[in-house]
Amino acid sequence: MIVAPENYVALSAVLFTIGVVGVIARRNPLIMLMSIELLFNAANLALVTYARAWVNNVGHIFAFLVITVAAAEAAIGLAIVAVTFRNLPHVDADDAAVLKG
Amino acid sequence: MITFWILAILLIASAVFVVTAKKPVYSVVGLLANFLALAATYLELQAEFLAVIQIVVYSGAILILFVFVIALLSSGVKPFEVGPDRAPRIAVPAVLFGALVLAGIAATVVGANTAALRGAAGVTGDANAFGSVADFGAALFTTNLLPFEVTALLLMVAVVGVVLIAGDEGPAGIVRRRKRRSLERESIVKRERAVR
Amino acid sequence: MLLAFVWLAPLAGGILLWTFGPQLRSWAGPIGSALVGASFLATCALWGSATVPGGLHVPLVSWLGGWNFGLQLDRLSLVWSLIIAGVGFLIHVYSIGYMDGDRAFARFFAYMNFFVFAMLTLVLSDNVIGLLIGWGLVGLASYFLIGFWFDRPSAVAAARKAFVMNVIGDVGMMFAIFLIVAKLGTIGYADVFAAAGHALDSGTVFLICVGLFIGCAAKSAQVPLHTWLPDAMEGPTPVSALIHAATMVTAGVYLIARFAPLWSASPEAREMAGVIGGLTAVSGAVLGCVQWDIKRILAYSTMSQIGYMIMGVGVGAFTGGVFHFLTHAFFKAQLFLGAGIIIHALANEQDVRRMGGLRTRMPFAFGAMLVGVLAICGVPGFSGFFSKDDVIYGTLASGHPWLYAVGVLTAGITAYYMLRLLFITFFGAYRGDVEAAALGITAQTSGPSTAGHHAQEEEPHHHAPAGLMNVPVAVLMLPTIFIGWLDFGEGSPWKRFFHSFPGFDAAVTTAAMPELASTGVVLAVVAAGFALAYARYGTPAALRDAVTRLRNETLGTPPILVHAYYFDAAYEAIFARSARALGGCFDRVVDPHVIDAGVREVAISAEWLGHLLRSFQTGLVRTYALGVVFGVACFVAYYALAFGVSR
Repeated sequence: MIVAPENYVALSAVLFTIGVVGVIARRNPLIMLMSIELLFNAANLALVTYARAWVNNVGHIFAFLVITVAAAEAAIGLAIVAVTFRNLPHVDADDAAVLKG
Repeated sequence: MITFWILAILLIASAVFVVTAKKPVYSVVGLLANFLALAATYLELQAEFLAVIQIVVYSGAILILFVFVIALLSSGVKPFEVGPDRAPRIAVPAVLFGALVLAGIAATVVGANTAALRGAAGVTGDANAFGSVADFGAALFTTNLLPFEVTALLLMVAVVGVVLIAGDEGPAGIVRRRKRRSLERESIVKRERAVR
Repeated sequence: MLLAFVWLAPLAGGILLWTFGPQLRSWAGPIGSALVGASFLATCALWGSATVPGGLHVPLVSWLGGWNFGLQLDRLSLVWSLIIAGVGFLIHVYSIGYMDGDRAFARFFAYMNFFVFAMLTLVLSDNVIGLLIGWGLVGLASYFLIGFWFDRPSAVAAARKAFVMNVIGDVGMMFAIFLIVAKLGTIGYADVFAAAGHALDSGTVFLICVGLFIGCAAKSAQVPLHTWLPDAMEGPTPVSALIHAATMVTAGVYLIARFAPLWSASPEAREMAGVIGGLTAVSGAVLGCVQWDIKRILAYSTMSQIGYMIMGVGVGAFTGGVFHFLTHAFFKAQLFLGAGIIIHALANEQDVRRMGGLRTRMPFAFGAMLVGVLAICGVPGFSGFFSKDDVIYGTLASGHPWLYAVGVLTAGITAYYMLRLLFITFFGAYRGDVEAAALGITAQTSGPSTAGHHAQEEEPHHHAPAGLMNVPVAVLMLPTIFIGWLDFGEGSPWKRFFHSFPGFDAAVTTAAMPELASTGVVLAVVAAGFALAYARYGTPAALRDAVTRLRNETLGTPPILVHAYYFDAAYEAIFARSARALGGCFDRVVDPHVIDAGVREVAISAEWLGHLLRSFQTGLVRTYALGVVFGVACFVAYYALAFGVSR
C-alpha cells in the first residue's frame, strides 16, 4: 500500500460532514435524501479502506449490504416524499411541521 | 498518490456541488459524478467487484429513481423551495457539529496503529485474488449466506412497502374516485341553481 | 375509672351539644346540666379515696419514656372539683332560664360543658404538662364564652383582650415548666416536689415561681394583667358567674397552692405574690367604688377578693387562702346570679343608676343579694367572715404588718362599695323612667356593657319556667351563709382536712396581737365602711335626692379612676398600636411584595422553563436532525478523548 489508510478515512470523514450539512441545511426533501446517500457512501469508503488494510473480505460484504439497504431506503423514502408532496403546492420539508409544539 | 489526490478533489467537489446546487436535477448530476469518482476509488483500493456494483446499482438504479421522482413532483408545479425559511442560519450549528465530528474522527484515526488490529480481523479468502468476483462470491455464499438471505427478505419488504405507500388504490379506488367526482358535480349544479 | 368519668363527662357533653346543637335545641340545657351534675355526684362518690394522703391517682398514658400523664384527685383538687362541678351544675340550671330564647342556646351549653372539662383538666392533672393544657383550654373556653354574642364588636374585642392577656400568662407558665423539665427531667407533681429539694438552687426556684406567678397574674386578673376582667363582663351573666368569679380566675390560686412546696422554698417569690395580691386587692376595691354597671362592680370585687386569696397563699396562709376561694365561689356566684335575675327582669338594663327601689318589686333578688353582700363584707356568722379573717390574720401572723394594713383597709372599702350597690339598686324610688341625662349618663360615663345584652329573641316557643333561675340562687344561699363554720377555731374541720398536705405547713411566727383582737380591728373598719355607705346613699335624705346625687357623683369622679388608672391607655399606646402597625406593614408590604411575589416568581419561572423547552419542538425535521448530529458529535468527542489521540 502506497497510500496509508488514514488518508482515505479522513476523506470519508470529510464526505460524511458534507453530507450532514446537506441534510440539515437544505429544505428540498429530495436533496436531503441525496445527502443521505452521500453519508452512506462515506461509510462504504471507510469499510473498503479497512478491508484492504487488513486483507479482510468482510468489509466488502458489509459495503455490499450497505448498498442494498441504501437502495431499499431510497426507494421507500422517495415513495413517502412523492405521496406527501403530491398534493402540496411546494416541495418543502418545512411544510411538514405538523408536530410543532 | 497522485490518483488519490485527484479522486479526493473530485469526490469533495462533487459532494459540495450536490449539497449546494439550486435545482435537484443539478444535484443528481453532481451525485452521479460523485458515484463515478467513488467507483474509481474502489478500483484504487482493489475492490473491483464493489466498484462495478457501485456503478450498476447506485448510479444506474437509485439515481434513475431520483430522476423519476423529480420529474413526478415537478410536473406542472412552480419552482421548488418557496415559502419562508423557518430555521434560518441553521447551517451554522450544522457546520460546527459536522466539523466537530470530523475533528474527532481525524484525531482518533490519524496516527493510530491500524496494523496492530490486522491480526484481530484475520485474513480471509484468497489474498492473491482479493476483491475479485470469485473471492467476493465465495465469501458471500458461504460465510455470509445468512446476511445475504436476510437482505433479500429486506428488499421484498421494501418493495411491498413502496407499493403500499405510493401505489394505486386499485379497483376500489376507481369506484371511490368516480363517486367523488359525481358528488362534486352535483354540488356545483345545486349551487348554480340556488344562485338563479 | 370513676375519676375518668368525672373528667370526661363534660367533654362528651360539649361534643354532643356542639355537634347536635341545632337538632337538640332546648334539650341542650338539661343535657348539659345533667352531665355536669353527674360529674359532681361522681366526685362526691370519690370523696373517700381522695382524702387519704396522696389521694387517688389514675395513670392514663405514658409518653416519650418517663412522661406519665394521669389524673389525680387529692384533697386540693377535690375541693376545686367539687366547686367546679357543683357550682357549675347550679349555674347550668340557672342558664336554662337565663339564656332561654337565645338563638344559640345549644352552643352556649356546649361551650359551658367544654369549659367545665377544661377546668377539670387543669385541676385533675397529675403533671405540669396536663396543667398547662388545661390552662390553655380554659383560656380558650373563656374566649368562646366572653365573645358568645359575637355580633357585638365590644364582646369580640373583650374576648380577644382576655385571650391575649392570658397568652402572656401562658408564656410565663411555659417558661417555668421549661425550667422544671430541664432541671428535673420529670413532669409529675410527686416527682417534681421530691426532686426539688435537692436538685434546685434557690435562684432557679425563684425563677420558676416567678414564671408561674406570671401565669397566675394573667389568669387571676392581678395587677398588671387585670384589665381584661372588667371587659369580660360582656359575656352572658352565667358566664361571669362561673368563669370570672367562681372558677377560672381562681386557677391562679390553685396553681400556687399546688406548688406550695416550691413556694415555701422561695421567700422572695412569696413576698412578691403577697405584695401583688395586696396591691390588687386594694386597687380593685377602690375602682369598685366608682363603677355604675352592676356587673363591673362585681368584677372589680372579684379582682379584689382574688387579691386576698393570692395574698393569703403568698404569705403562707394556704388553708386560709383556699378557704377564701371556697366561700368566695359561693357568695360571688350568688351575687352574679342575683344580678342576672335583676338584669333579666329589667330587660337587660345593667346601669344601677337606672335601678332603685327594687326591694319591693323583686324581694327574692333582694334577699339573695343581701345575703351575698353580707358574706362578702365579712359580717360575723356568714361564710366570708371566717375566710377573710383567716387570710387577714395570716398576714399578721407571718410577719407582714403592711399587708395586714392593706387587708384591713380593703375590707373596709369592700364593705363601702357593696353596701353602696345595695342602696343604689334596691332602695329609694325606681329610676328606670328618669331621663338618662338627668342621671348623668352620657356616652362617656357609661361603659360598653351598659348597652345590655343582645336578646336575640326567637318566635315564641316553649319557655322555661320563670322560677328556674331562682332555684339555684336559693340553693346557693345555704353555703353562702353556713359553710364558713367549717373553719371555725383552731382545730377546725377545714384545717384538719388539710393537715400535712404537701407544702401547706408554712412557718407561723408570733403575731403582734391575738386573733380575736385582729378580728375586732377588721370588724371596726367594716362597720366604718357601712356607716360611710349609709351616710352617702342610705339615709332618707339621700334616697330622696338620689337622682341629683348620682349625677353629681358621676360627673365628679376623678378621671384617673374613670380610666382605671390608665392601664388600658398605656397598654394601647405601648403594645397595641405598634402591633397593629406591624400587622399593617405586613399586610401592605410583605404579603403582596415578598410572599406573593415569591410565589408568582415560581410560577413565572415554571412558565419560562416551559417556553424554553417548547422552543425545541419546532416540528421541522432539520432541527431534529441537527439534534441527532449534536449527539453524534458528543459521542465522537468522547471516544476521541478517551480512546484516541494515541500518539
